[in-house]
Amino acid sequence: MAAPSIAVTRVAPRASHGLWGDAFRRLLRNRPAMVGALLIVAFLLVAVFAPVLAPYPPNESFPPPAGETSQKLGPWPPSAAHPFGQDKQGRDELSRVMYGATVSLLAGLSSVIVGVTLGGLIGAVAGAAGGKVDSLLMRCVDVLLAMPGILLAIGIVTFLGQGLWQITIAVAITNAPIFARLLRGGLLSVRESDYVLASRSIGASRTRLLTRHMLPNSLTPIIVAATLALATAIIDIAGLGFLGLGPPDPRTPEWGTMLTDSREFLRSAAYLIFFPGLAIVITAVGFNLLGDGLRESLDPRLKR
Amino acid sequence: MTKYIVRRLLGTVPVLIGVSIVVFVFIRLLPGDPATAILGQHATAQRIAEMREFLGLDKPIWEQYLIYVTTLLGGDFGRSIINGQPILTEFLTRMPATIELTAGAMVFAAGLGIPLGRFAAKRAQKWQDGSITVLSLVGISIPVFVLGLTLQYIFAVQLGWLPATGRIDARTALELQSNFVLIDVWLQPDWTFEEKLSAFLDGISHLILPAIALGSIPLAIITRITRASVIDVSNDDYVRTARAKGLSERRIDGRHVMRNAWLPVVTVLGLQVGGLLAGAVITETVFAWNGVGRWIVEAIGNRDYFIVQSTILIFALIFLVVNLAVDVMYAFINPRIRYA
Amino acid sequence: MALLSVQDLVVRFRTHEGTIHAVNGVTFELDEGETLGIVGESGCGKSVTSLALMRLLPKPAGRIEGGTIRFDGQDLLAYSESEMRDLRGREVAMIFQDPMTSLNPVLTVEEQMVETIQAHRTISKEDARARAIELLAMVGMPQPETRLKAYPHQFSGGMRQRVMIAMALALAPKLLIADEPTTALDVTIQAQVLELLKRLTDDTGTAAILITHDLGVVAGMTQRINVMYAGFIVESATTAELFATPAHPYTVGLLHSVPRLDAEEGSELIPIEGTPPDQRQAPVGCPFAPRCAWRLPTCWESNPPLAPIRVGEAVVLTGAGATHRIACYNPPTHEEAVAGRPLRPGFKAAQPPGSVTEALAGMPDELAEPGEWYAEGGDVEFLPGQGPTTATGGAAGLPISPDDDDR
Repeated sequence: MAAPSIAVTRVAPRASHGLWGDAFRRLLRNRPAMVGALLIVAFLLVAVFAPVLAPYPPNESFPPPAGETSQKLGPWPPSAAHPFGQDKQGRDELSRVMYGATVSLLAGLSSVIVGVTLGGLIGAVAGAAGGKVDSLLMRCVDVLLAMPGILLAIGIVTFLGQGLWQITIAVAITNAPIFARLLRGGLLSVRESDYVLASRSIGASRTRLLTRHMLPNSLTPIIVAATLALATAIIDIAGLGFLGLGPPDPRTPEWGTMLTDSREFLRSAAYLIFFPGLAIVITAVGFNLLGDGLRESLDPRLKR
Repeated sequence: MTKYIVRRLLGTVPVLIGVSIVVFVFIRLLPGDPATAILGQHATAQRIAEMREFLGLDKPIWEQYLIYVTTLLGGDFGRSIINGQPILTEFLTRMPATIELTAGAMVFAAGLGIPLGRFAAKRAQKWQDGSITVLSLVGISIPVFVLGLTLQYIFAVQLGWLPATGRIDARTALELQSNFVLIDVWLQPDWTFEEKLSAFLDGISHLILPAIALGSIPLAIITRITRASVIDVSNDDYVRTARAKGLSERRIDGRHVMRNAWLPVVTVLGLQVGGLLAGAVITETVFAWNGVGRWIVEAIGNRDYFIVQSTILIFALIFLVVNLAVDVMYAFINPRIRYA
Repeated sequence: MALLSVQDLVVRFRTHEGTIHAVNGVTFELDEGETLGIVGESGCGKSVTSLALMRLLPKPAGRIEGGTIRFDGQDLLAYSESEMRDLRGREVAMIFQDPMTSLNPVLTVEEQMVETIQAHRTISKEDARARAIELLAMVGMPQPETRLKAYPHQFSGGMRQRVMIAMALALAPKLLIADEPTTALDVTIQAQVLELLKRLTDDTGTAAILITHDLGVVAGMTQRINVMYAGFIVESATTAELFATPAHPYTVGLLHSVPRLDAEEGSELIPIEGTPPDQRQAPVGCPFAPRCAWRLPTCWESNPPLAPIRVGEAVVLTGAGATHRIACYNPPTHEEAVAGRPLRPGFKAAQPPGSVTEALAGMPDELAEPGEWYAEGGDVEFLPGQGPTTATGGAAGLPISPDDDDR
């Protein structure tokens, strides 16, 4: 009665494409993560091609829109020529926001790279050495974590002085403990796990053990955390900029600094607050969405 | 239990020593001669000599550290370089404002986040849950200063519903006693009850926007952790047992689910205190809130190093103590630790 | 009239991975005071059946999609949620596999027992407490008054399960469902707990359903046994008859995959090859066919109904005279059942229809021959549902196997 082709009730398990292949497939099916990826792509495009995409140079003052008779340089509300308006020096806000993406990307990315390297090193040494070295390093990490978030960064900036690379380093150091803990925890749990024991018992070489088993399994949380850390790094860098610790050169279009420079115009020119603020939020949402999606797709156990 | 607390307390000590070393090092590693760096190029030779004396720069570094710690333990956090005021006194005067702000933010974050998380868990995988998850993600992504400025613009500038800055109407002749505005209004000797009440409400209305701005990230985090925890616990075997015993859903929810779901939430609540103290620095700047946060920002601008150093140290101490308290509380509500 | 009557029960899980056909039309009855064992591998639908009886399937995925459940003459599927709640714990009580996770870790045993009693009886806390002490004493808990104040983690595994049993019997239910009650326990404790369960159900006249993957557990415990496979009952008989004359190839396989001390001559240890079917597809043909040594060509195409082993016999569902029924087109003879493999000269298990071979050919090698690993290794210790072969004789001369996961 039934077609012979379906006579077997047993179906083959879905073909597997390895850890990364599977994760990538799951990621593609994760709609929020794809929205995040889209936002990030837009951010990256703007950041990289700002000189091409931006309508004007970031530091050129422009005359007020037609019909304005006031003698001041700015700010001016959005007009056809300047859709985001002009800041108090008459500069094109849209172009500044776009160039700001470059600053944000460079600072955010370098601070996460430095943070991952620094934290990763500490974590790897602690995880590999174990014993006294491990507990000493982890105590140091505890110390850094006891000075929460931006507070430690503030301390570092007072020490290093104000400036873009200074706040980048400061944020990197505040992020480092997270990565140190993650990598160490990952290495430890993997080292003790059954499958490494099993591989070892069948005589897998040390390199193979490290590259095939231990690293992939402790790297996945690092990748997730790094993506999420990009969001916090960009926010924290803008935050330090907002506190006036950012680039001392007023020409650098740093989003946080732009916000703080425009605070006095909250009543008269809220658009100067709105657009840089929105740029920060969109970027952070993008990295947070992608990071969450990555976590879900890299951890098969979280599969719903 | 006592053993647990003692062990936990002893574990905090090295961290605290570590923090004190870090803030100590901050100053000693200032480029060039620390005393000159602190006081600036134009300071008189006599003041620089005094500073060298205070810092003990001519002694070996470990001795300098011992001197530093001894003065700290004696309650001496140094003086402001700018106006010579003792730092601890000023800190204690300003801290109540910061406590009011962070407490308000915490009440907002926990008061809204826990019910929201429970609601989302109950509607797991439905649209309500989805919206709450998306909202909390956006909440985590909005920096305090962007949200603060936005709230100011909407509710103060445009709608005029709430004041934009300050802790109380500037025309109120409030005599500060405890430095907690919301307490001091009740302590005014010659005010009528109506005056006290209206000043109190005015204080609350000043608190609302900064508390929301500061509390939004903790709100998002607490919502997420509560949701995850409730969903997690709801799948536990003992919840099925409770159903199999014929208990009502209300009882299962209140007693079996929540009593267990609380545990991770409590831990996260404690961790939020750190974020709140750090966030207060920016929030106080946005809302001209005269607390420790604003003070530290001014101090950075003035290169008033001792203020920055001491504030970081005290905030770290507060953070550690709060988390110690939370851990103890956790142990108390978790019999697996209490009777371990 | 039967205390419990389940007719054509169908349970499916609607998940992101597709629909899981967990229970596919199960019919059985239970008289008052009677004890029934439901036996099968994990995933065969035995636990799902019991959760369906309590209407406690995990929401929203699990649904009862067909059939009826009558308890004490009442249609349980027509009950409102509050009527069900009233029934649970009072009329039907349940014991779960792992007493560590089944008791709430943050509530004392007293709180958990008292709330059970108070949920169904208007009774003061003191009286409920007195009853709880009485119950703990009944299950053999030393110093019940002081132990009442303790938290679950302060008990040993065996004692925890005693607490579960005491709690389940708190309201003198008519039916007790025990889902793998001893699986999570040490071998030595298993026998004690089973003995306790048997004594208490006998004493109180409580009907019981004992769910297990281990034939050794039900042997001395229950009057009748249903063997389940892939959501179907494949064999149903009184316990004595099932062990004397197992008639379904799967039951035969189960008996032969457990080492028996009283093994008859000529019987050997024969593992069941392969794994249970993927239940994401609606079953076509006999679900056991892919693993069966007795299968006929027709087994691939149609699923045999559960029918009396002696053709034409009237079906009695309950009691000592319950009809021995199997769902099989080509049951093993008694000799074959003893030997554990087909003995007919020249008989070969029917090859799957052509397209199936192609389908298998498309799979990676290790999947194409599901039974190979077990068959070649022949190593008993790696078989699922089975522990080391050191177990000594159980209640009816049968071994009691500990669970596969060693705790």
